[in-house]
Amino acid sequence: MVTRINIGPVHPSTHGVLRLVADIDGDTVVNLEPHIGFLHRGVEKLVETRMYMQNPPYMEKLDYVAPMSYDEAYVATVEKAMGVEVKERAQWVRTILLELQRIASHLLWLGTMANDVGQFFTVFMWTFTDRDRILRLLEEASGARMFYVNMRIGGLIRDLPPGFDERAREVLSYIEKKMKKYEDFLEKDPLFTERMKGVGVLSRERAIALGVTGPVLRASGINYDVRKDNPYYVYDKLGFQTQVRSDGDCFARYKVRMLEMTESIRLVRAALDKIPEGDALGMPVKLILPSAKNRMVTLSRELPRGECLMYMVADSQRPYRLSIRSPTFINLAALKEMSRGCKTADIFAISGSLDLIMGDVDR
Amino acid sequence: MVPILSLASSYLNLTGTAATIVDTLVYAIAVSVLIIAFDYIFGWLERKTIAKIQRRHGPTYAGKYGLLQNMADFVKLLAKEHVAPKRADKLLFLSTIPTMLALTIFLVFLIPLAPTLIETNVGLGLLVVFVLLSFMPLIIFANGFGSGNKFAAISAQRSVVMLLSYEVPLIFVIAAVGALGGSYSLAGLVGAQNPWWFVVLMPIGFVVFFIAMLAEVERPPFDIREADNELIAGWLTDVSAPYYTLALFLDYSRMLLGSLLIAILFFGGWSGPLLPPFVWLLLKAFVISFFIMIIRATMVRMRIDRLLRFGWALLLPLSLINLILTYLVFIR
Repeated sequence: MVTRINIGPVHPSTHGVLRLVADIDGDTVVNLEPHIGFLHRGVEKLVETRMYMQNPPYMEKLDYVAPMSYDEAYVATVEKAMGVEVKERAQWVRTILLELQRIASHLLWLGTMANDVGQFFTVFMWTFTDRDRILRLLEEASGARMFYVNMRIGGLIRDLPPGFDERAREVLSYIEKKMKKYEDFLEKDPLFTERMKGVGVLSRERAIALGVTGPVLRASGINYDVRKDNPYYVYDKLGFQTQVRSDGDCFARYKVRMLEMTESIRLVRAALDKIPEGDALGMPVKLILPSAKNRMVTLSRELPRGECLMYMVADSQRPYRLSIRSPTFINLAALKEMSRGCKTADIFAISGSLDLIMGDVDR
Repeated sequence: MVPILSLASSYLNLTGTAATIVDTLVYAIAVSVLIIAFDYIFGWLERKTIAKIQRRHGPTYAGKYGLLQNMADFVKLLAKEHVAPKRADKLLFLSTIPTMLALTIFLVFLIPLAPTLIETNVGLGLLVVFVLLSFMPLIIFANGFGSGNKFAAISAQRSVVMLLSYEVPLIFVIAAVGALGGSYSLAGLVGAQNPWWFVVLMPIGFVVFFIAMLAEVERPPFDIREADNELIAGWLTDVSAPYYTLALFLDYSRMLLGSLLIAILFFGGWSGPLLPPFVWLLLKAFVISFFIMIIRATMVRMRIDRLLRFGWALLLPLSLINLILTYLVFIR
């Protein structure tokens, strides 16, 4: 007999306000429908009513786990529309901040993932404590703890503070040490690997057909990363390696993210080594009288959760239209297919491995 | 009987059956107080220990070291409105949790806490305890089914599957314990562990029993019934205010019961030097509970279909091997 259960929108494991309607036969999922829209704020429309540099705070609230990435993606779109070059040092600083943000975001994901398979908040608390050290670094660089708003046209609101280099290296080696501990703790636990391996398999073909991006795509064996295939800023100068796994299950997605964190740590170190001296300040907000050179702009960025595509029709003072291809919205579409035929408890392992942020899905 | 427990009957100048009834009542009240004290202390200790493992502080504000935090929680829960869902079967929904708590207290009452406290020592105590204990999942099934909530209904189904998966190995281990001790009375079993504890004599049996007890008292990694991130709270999803308080008490009472059983069957019960036997038993139960607490903080929850396979493909053969080895080595 098939039972229909309604999971969410308020449920401990849906990471926000995702509603899943699951048809369950015994303990096997027959069908699963995600219902979204509980956190819809109409950001794309709000953006049209404000001047260019009034928008970053709105963009950051799309993905409240990795706000800096969206901030940067939007500002870069405006820069592209206006035809402004980013200053040399600012490019390096942005790369460093983005990668630090990626580590912070993945650490949060690791904690919630462990929670979703039934860990009692232990890994969650550990990763939150570690994540806080990165947030403190970002706070030093930008002045805010959660919503940074530190990108300006052509650069940043301020340069890296003095002594940032040493502190960043210290935090990175700390995170690196902790990462090994987490890997030991989780992968040596047969219960954890069992909950992850072979669960929610997404084949290579279906991954392409569904249009998933980011770690979910790379876990299905496709070597695609915007940072490698369409490099921006200084990623091509840092010897960036794409992390790929071929299994396509939850464990592969877990592993890809873990490897990505290691890779990000390496990238930040390399960037800190090579960063040139100079000026990183962007244009003051009030002095901008934008004269958009390009009418239509698209820009793609590798966010921690996948590829974000910004499509902007520029106007003189404000965006005429901004459309965002948010990575998690597309990745969520794969949930239905991945969870068909799995056990009830696996729904949460799979949705956890997709790393959903409902603010990003609903926009 | 300890003199202090028969004070009431001697004060009332009772003899015979009347004295036995009064003594038993006094003992029952003493056991209940003991259980509540244990629940309270463990409720606090578990929060503190898990907080330490997770690099947090745990409760700090209410009382010294947050000792009054649980009291505050209980008062808050008791002050809240009790809501029974409209679709719930009221009788099943409201009667099951008090029944379970009463059953747990009764089971602790059946366990001899010291050689002098064996008035309630039944000749077939081991069997009685485990027969009654195996009713628990069925009562949970009734509650989950009666609450009219789909999450609770799934939890109820899981409850029965869990019962199927660990009960048979558990019975085999108990059979081995009874055969080794040459007795089915709990006090007799403690006596039989005089030079060597049973944990030394049959380590395989202990491992199986410990795992099965974890599942029996619903501690992680076998808290599949109330898996909080899958089923919200499982069979407790719709349970509110005073009944939830009872459910919290129930949780720790069952942990005490499980630890006491492990201590009595495998760690020599109240035997130990210097300290009085009663203290020894509680100390052992305390250490075992502490261990169970640490398991909670570190393990990942098992999936229900995996538990079934685990029970039948691993625990059952192990328990059979244990039974055969025990027979071959010690009894034959």
